[in-house]
Amino acid sequence: MNITGSDLILLGHAGMGMLGSLLAAWVFFEALHARKENAVRTRNVALAVAASMAAVWILGGYWYVHLYPGDRAVILKGPWPFAHSIFMEVKEHLFFVTLILSFYLPIAARDRLYASAAARRLVMCVALLIALSAWAIEGAGGVIEHGAKLALIQAGAKGAR
Amino acid sequence: MNSATIKPGRASTAFLLAAAIAILFNTALACVKESYPPLNKAMASLTGHHWTTHGLADIALFAVLGLVFWKTGAAEKIDANRLTSLLIASVVIAGGGLVAFYLLF
Repeated sequence: MNITGSDLILLGHAGMGMLGSLLAAWVFFEALHARKENAVRTRNVALAVAASMAAVWILGGYWYVHLYPGDRAVILKGPWPFAHSIFMEVKEHLFFVTLILSFYLPIAARDRLYASAAARRLVMCVALLIALSAWAIEGAGGVIEHGAKLALIQAGAKGAR
Repeated sequence: MNSATIKPGRASTAFLLAAAIAILFNTALACVKESYPPLNKAMASLTGHHWTTHGLADIALFAVLGLVFWKTGAAEKIDANRLTSLLIASVVIAGGGLVAFYLLF
């Protein structure tokens, strides 16, 4: 089995992104059923969302800056150049929206959600936006990987099919 | 006082407004740096890559604006539900703006 550091970084950033989106969904449902008893858990999970997305930023950022240029060159020469020119370009900038929301979520979750309908709505809204944007980004990542695969198949990479 | 009248806290509203502004700034900066290569180059020279600088600028703006609005209480004058709607609108505009720009650019 040949698993390199770059494989771990690539899969790690996608895995942390999925984890962050699922944690955001968890926050959504905790806020939906906000009570004094789940207030601490809601805050802690919101912090975990922020930590997950920070990890995505670091891992994905390292991959993008240091390891992606080779993939980019391959994709742009292949049958799906839009996998980079549209999907990666949108993904790399849309991620900052998710990141800002993720850093904001623990701040909003510090309010007494069980005592304020407006605070509850706010946290639910932010958590939902994080989850939806993260899933869109995850999907874009799939398109980008497929663009690389198609380019390699086109180039006649041995065993790629 | 019932839950319908209790507002989110000062920090929540301050950083909510900061988040909405930073999210819109993110898309605006993406469009400008792609359209004006000297800016892209300048951003790359700061940290080694324009994307790294872009992210740091977004987070720094969010943090600084959030602290300013928190200290001044500027966001407290705006209705909390209106601020939430503003945030949703900023995400939709920013996301849609990015898709539109890269589809057309």
